[in-house]
Amino acid sequence: MVDTKGLSLDQAPPIDLPLRFFLTAPWFVVAAGLILAVQGEAAMASRWTPAALAATHLLAIGFLGQVLCGALLQLLPVIAGTPMPGVGLIATASNLCLSAGSAFLAVGFLGGAPLWLGAGALVSGVGFLTLLSGLLPALRRARGGPATLVAFRLGSVSLALTVLLGLTLAAGLLGWLTLPRFTDWVTAHLSWGLLGWVGLLIVGVAYQVVPLFHVTPAYPGWMAAGLAPSLFLALAAATLALWAGQGALADLALTVAALGFGSFAAVTLILQSRRSRPRLDATLVHWRLALAAMAVAGVAWWLDAPSGLLGVLILIGVGVGLPSGMLLKIVPFLCWFHLQSRWAASDRRDLRVPHMHQLLPERLARWHPPAHALALVLLCAGTLEPALVQPGALVLCASALWLVGLMAGAAWRYRRVSQALG
Amino acid sequence: MDLLLDVSGLPPPEPLERTLDALGGLAPGDRLLVRLGRQPYPLYDLLRRMGYRWEVTGEDGDWRILVEPESEPESGPEPEHRSGSPARS
Repeated sequence: MVDTKGLSLDQAPPIDLPLRFFLTAPWFVVAAGLILAVQGEAAMASRWTPAALAATHLLAIGFLGQVLCGALLQLLPVIAGTPMPGVGLIATASNLCLSAGSAFLAVGFLGGAPLWLGAGALVSGVGFLTLLSGLLPALRRARGGPATLVAFRLGSVSLALTVLLGLTLAAGLLGWLTLPRFTDWVTAHLSWGLLGWVGLLIVGVAYQVVPLFHVTPAYPGWMAAGLAPSLFLALAAATLALWAGQGALADLALTVAALGFGSFAAVTLILQSRRSRPRLDATLVHWRLALAAMAVAGVAWWLDAPSGLLGVLILIGVGVGLPSGMLLKIVPFLCWFHLQSRWAASDRRDLRVPHMHQLLPERLARWHPPAHALALVLLCAGTLEPALVQPGALVLCASALWLVGLMAGAAWRYRRVSQALG
Repeated sequence: MDLLLDVSGLPPPEPLERTLDALGGLAPGDRLLVRLGRQPYPLYDLLRRMGYRWEVTGEDGDWRILVEPESEPESGPEPEHRSGSPARS
């Protein structure tokens, strides 16, 4: 007998909750872009400039953290097969804390104000820990999609470590702790945040969404089973080696991690080239741009390129590009699915639910990847030719505003049909 | 009459959109046979809410779902699998 139970709105949270994260997140890309535009050349001199640190935290917490939270709150109850208890409270608290926390951190870095930094670290930490309090029980209960779940569980551990390291760094900056070899602590915080939490989550989400939304074959078994644990172990080995003063061993472990992400990028591109009905849409272009940025970042790290270039490639090329592509698919899909379910349960057979491409038109969405790509190229070039930082940052702002406009349009059309359904 | 709708290889939610469009135009007494590569899990919840019943056969890569209104008189053999009643489970 074929089991046809499965995805149901009974398990998913109300649409307002993920949309709240998705509609808030791009504003932090706008804020980061404005900081880079105002500070211009000075911002990209190194990864330690106040502007670079402020922009990094706005992008990592304000944008990436929020998008990943929204996606997890939507996805996990469905995988677990049960609603998440207290999801409204968890979503509201983490949305507020991540927004305020990343803004406080940006103010703290820009103004050299340790108290703002401490408040930002604390509030952001509370936001992430609130999210983890909802995720961990759901991750324990969940049984479907084991490869994705392993990646999510290890990603959650990485998030907890990132938060702990961030709080420790803030305590060091406030003078409450003495941290010998401060830069090693920063490197560990950065590695667990970007490669652990963000990297593992992207891998876990890709196992689900690439075969589903792009209609490709599944990821090969060896990659689904082995990649996430290998990446996690490589990161753990790199951190321990770094703290033990074994720089060569740390580099070796990070090389393993870079090769892991490189093979993930290559396999994903191969899978996407083997679609049965090929069609190029904005999401797919974003995937290709982000995977190319991931591969270039790996080569750049190997060649010991400036840290500013690595930061732009990873944070903006992958960290902003890939989630933007997913949002262009997830937001209209959620709007369509909620409307369709409400319509099915209603007696308004005279109304028609708009198709997904009517909720977020592809003819408008297709301009987003080129705008993002232009921003990425200008900002990468800006690490060598500082005059290009300002135009690159302004294009980044414009592309983030375009993303907000596209999603807000879908949400507005959703609300209009939803009201008509009564 | 059974109408065949082949939506295999289309990205989500196009298989669902086309299936629901086809159901909207189904003549009384007709059934819709949908062919697709993956199990359309969200479809079952929608069909249940809309008062349809369905029968699933096949395997990964080639699924066939025969859909007909719940109220239609039986026109064929007893379905291999029938899932969902209008009430929520």
